[in-house]
Amino acid sequence: MPLMFAESELPETGLTPYLILGALLFVCGVVCMATKRNAIGVLMGVELVLNGANVNFVAFAAFNPAFQLEGQIFSLFVIVLAAAEAAVALAIVLNFYNNHMTVDVDTAEELKG
Amino acid sequence: MTLPDLQALLFYAVAVLTGLCAIGVVVTQNIVRSAAWLLFTLGGVAGIFFFLGADFVGATQLIVYVGGTLVLVVFGVMLTAQGPFISLRTGAAEWAMSLVVGLLLFGVLAVTVAHKETWASGRAPAEKQKPMVIAEDPDSSPNSVLIGHGFLGQPIGPNKTAYLLPFEIVSVHLLVVLIGAAYLARAKRRRGAAANAADVR
Amino acid sequence: MSLTEFHEHPGLYFVAATLLPLGSFVLLLLASAVRAFIRPYQEERGGDVVTPPRWPAFVATGAIALAFVLCLVASFDFFSDHHKLQDAEEAVRTAPPAEKEAKEHEAEKLAQQTEERWNGHWTWLSLSMGGRVLQLGYHIDHLSVIMFLMVTLIATLIHIYSIGYMGDELQPMVEDHQVHTADGHLRRRGRFGRFFLFLSLFCFSMLNLVLADNFFQVFISWELVGLCSYLLIGFYYERRSASTAANKAFITNRVGDAGFILGLLIIFAYFGTFNFQDVFAQVRSPFEDAHSHENKKTLERGGEIVRAEWHTTEEGKRLLQVSERGTGGEVVLFPAKPVMDGVGTAGQTVPLRAGARKPERDYGTIPYWMLVVAGLGIFLGCVGKSAQFPLHVWLPDAMEGPTPVSALIHAATMVAAGVYLVGRVFPLFTPEARLTIAYTGGITLFVAATIALVMTDIKKVLAYSTVSQLGYMMLALGVGGWVAGLFHLITHAFFKALLFLGSGSVIYGCHHEQEMTRMGGLYPKMKITALTMLAGVLAIAGIPFFSGWYSKDAILAQALGYVMAHKQHGLLFLLPLATAGITTFYMFRMWFMTFTGEPRDQHVHEHAHESPWLMTVPLIILAMFSIGVAWAWPVLGALEQHIHHAQPLAVQADFGSLEAGSSEAERWPGGVRIGLPERQNAQAYHELAGWVATGIVLVSIIFASLVYWRRYQVLDPAETKEQFPRLYAFLVHKWYFDELYSAILVRPALVVAQAARWFDAVVIDGIANGLGRAGVLLSRWDGIFDARIIDGLVNVMADACYSLGGRLRAVQTGSLRSYILFLALAAVAIFVVLTYFVTRALAG
Repeated sequence: MPLMFAESELPETGLTPYLILGALLFVCGVVCMATKRNAIGVLMGVELVLNGANVNFVAFAAFNPAFQLEGQIFSLFVIVLAAAEAAVALAIVLNFYNNHMTVDVDTAEELKG
Repeated sequence: MTLPDLQALLFYAVAVLTGLCAIGVVVTQNIVRSAAWLLFTLGGVAGIFFFLGADFVGATQLIVYVGGTLVLVVFGVMLTAQGPFISLRTGAAEWAMSLVVGLLLFGVLAVTVAHKETWASGRAPAEKQKPMVIAEDPDSSPNSVLIGHGFLGQPIGPNKTAYLLPFEIVSVHLLVVLIGAAYLARAKRRRGAAANAADVR
Repeated sequence: MSLTEFHEHPGLYFVAATLLPLGSFVLLLLASAVRAFIRPYQEERGGDVVTPPRWPAFVATGAIALAFVLCLVASFDFFSDHHKLQDAEEAVRTAPPAEKEAKEHEAEKLAQQTEERWNGHWTWLSLSMGGRVLQLGYHIDHLSVIMFLMVTLIATLIHIYSIGYMGDELQPMVEDHQVHTADGHLRRRGRFGRFFLFLSLFCFSMLNLVLADNFFQVFISWELVGLCSYLLIGFYYERRSASTAANKAFITNRVGDAGFILGLLIIFAYFGTFNFQDVFAQVRSPFEDAHSHENKKTLERGGEIVRAEWHTTEEGKRLLQVSERGTGGEVVLFPAKPVMDGVGTAGQTVPLRAGARKPERDYGTIPYWMLVVAGLGIFLGCVGKSAQFPLHVWLPDAMEGPTPVSALIHAATMVAAGVYLVGRVFPLFTPEARLTIAYTGGITLFVAATIALVMTDIKKVLAYSTVSQLGYMMLALGVGGWVAGLFHLITHAFFKALLFLGSGSVIYGCHHEQEMTRMGGLYPKMKITALTMLAGVLAIAGIPFFSGWYSKDAILAQALGYVMAHKQHGLLFLLPLATAGITTFYMFRMWFMTFTGEPRDQHVHEHAHESPWLMTVPLIILAMFSIGVAWAWPVLGALEQHIHHAQPLAVQADFGSLEAGSSEAERWPGGVRIGLPERQNAQAYHELAGWVATGIVLVSIIFASLVYWRRYQVLDPAETKEQFPRLYAFLVHKWYFDELYSAILVRPALVVAQAARWFDAVVIDGIANGLGRAGVLLSRWDGIFDARIIDGLVNVMADACYSLGGRLRAVQTGSLRSYILFLALAAVAIFVVLTYFVTRALAG
């Protein structure tokens, strides 16, 4: 299956659905971060947010001929950084778990005013 | 059914599924199930990338996210999932508040998207333009080749940009993260923590 | 400044001579400052009071002596220069017509060179107004040279004399017998150095005054000599009389200086310069207008003040036209550098130029009355400095200073500065001013002489004599005897310095006894002093062939000549003539009372002794000068002739004291013009005046010797005193001048001061105190307001912040999830707000 459509076969759906999807992913990530008490869940929310952003990047790139490659490369970097972030975040979660014997972020309220 | 119609249909199907999976991530109380929903979501996003002609990005999405990051997450779940902690319940009020905020944010974003023609004044709306054909041959995989050249320092694309330096920076960054993660996650046995761990066991 | 400079401009020798005493002053001042700093340590270490050193006297004396030598050297140069000039002029006169022009050219060139050699100036200050400048400069003519020689010579002698006279001040502690304190007499440090410090400053100031080529420099020196006078009169300032006298001298001089400065202001405003020559060139008409050599036009009113009047022509144009002599409200100011079309004939139009006047090139005007005021103002300054009626009251009191000071400052030099200045600015004086000068001099000389008749303090007699003699000089200048007045200035300087130093020697010998009523019979004890003083007495009395005779005769002849031409001013001859007799009488009275007869006070007589050689040598030198300065002028010929060279042409223009056919008349550029209102011929009356005066003098001498030497009972002074008690009291009280001034000036001033003090104490202080009290009250209220309201407000705000902070703490939950919610909310809010405003902005 060809991965690239010919010019005449380009999707006629337009940019809007992509952006709506990106927004949905983003909002899901935010709500996920806000509702999950599990630190791993929060991490998942972050991944969702990043994915939402990535969808936007690639969609804009695809529909703006001047920046087609730039958008893709940006999203590549985001993916790589997300991996790195996930690694560090998990390391932090593990440390947190070692110290508190829980992954409930509500117990981490040392910064309470 | 013409090919574009089919393609749109497919796209909508994938998009809706991806969105539903994302919602699933949010609403599921069990963390392990959340991880599973996340897996599907990420895969769906990879599919979206393919629809947008970003084959290399989609591949990377699958390999790195689905294959790497998610495994990492699952490992995290497994390392910390001990009985009561698998599902930490959230209060109804908090749910409500989060939902309201989430809906507001989504509403704002949706409204903005709906008015995207007004974003850049003086420029033709992006939607009216067709994506530029990067390679003449649709069977080839030009994105991968181009991006690969770009990462090796060859100017690519209409803007003639080379990405060697960012590539190197990301590489070093990853190395640093690797070391940092290993350092943070290494088995530190401080006295108190050790005692606690012993008690729990 | 290299030596060649001195060679090319020998006038600089005089500048150097002026600056030498200044150097001495600065050195002594620094030294005294250093001494004042180290003295406490010395005394702490040594325990004893430090003895004043002697070297300041040598520095000061060396400086002034060196100045004298410089002047002497330069004066030879000067006189030879002028001889050459005279020869050149003589050559022009005697040359055959063919060569006349070439000779004239030569003479002009030589005159130009001489001018350059003996004049110079430097810009001191540039004023922003019209590019005017204040200059420092020197102008050397015959008068300056003679004044320089006189001042430096007398100053040198008095410095030497002072080393002896001020010997008492060399003690570490001096006991002043005239000042009484709770425990006996005042004891103070010796002030030997300070005396010479002041003397050096005085010498510099006086020489600078003579040197100056402009009014401003003169004014500076004028004030400096006044300051030195003040400091030296108050030398024994612990004595109340001395400090009062110093104040009196200073304040009286201020009255005169107010006039002086008024004159200066008028001059600078109208003439645009302070330079003597430039001012005179403007106020006095040139003799020729500057056409080419062939057709030089002699001007009718050369050397005169030309007056003019405004006229309106038929077209309505205003023209300034030269008016008849003696009329006209404006005075024509001539360009300093003569231009073509000079004016001189009545009815001629003055070529005035519209716009800003350039004094070098353009004609200008000054209101006639303004010129009169300027002249009278400057003369008022001279009245103060030269102690003329009605400002003469300070000079007798100034005798509180040490005697050498009285000799140098208050007899020979400073008080003569007023006369000198009147002579210098003579071209500026209008006929009214000249008449004022003459009458001021006449009144002064008579008043002072009558007071001197009854004074018993030896220095007071000399002081009044000085005032009287200065009056002679003023009178001479006022009646056109320019040469006579300044001639008398020089001769008087010598014999009056001699007399003062002699009296100082007597006082020193009698242990600071000044009353003549306690002297007598001192001749055998101090022969040198007595004989030298006798020379001075004979000179001042006007005994033939003594210097005073020449000068006083010249004055009397001048006065007689003037009176003959103006019969209504007869007093101007009668007063000086009578005073010549009175002068002789009181001077001989002084000498006889001091040196002859029986001693009146045995105690004083027993302890009297001759002064040391440091004091007698200057006496002898001065005595020689007193006798011979008029006829054996040490450099060349007669003194009078030399002064004559410096006489401004204005004197001849105004008084025309020329004999037809004389060499002077031939030299007179405008030709002989007798018959003008003020013109007279003094030469014709010379012999007559001389005989009369000599006669009166001889009679007076005989009279004085009968009364005070032979002591005839018929003419006992004490009886005479009783016969005319009113007259005696009148004279002893100095014509009640002090009382008069006290009544009309001092007491009203005190009353006003009292009133002002009361006003100050009650009203001003009351207002100030009231304000202060109100301020305190207000502050108290303000304090309450501050504490209650302002602090309250601040506290309320602080409390509000505190409680608000406490409530807001709750927001910082520390919970990660709530932060995320807030973040999302904030994003929404920002988005909404921005969108709202951006939309509005785009819509608007």
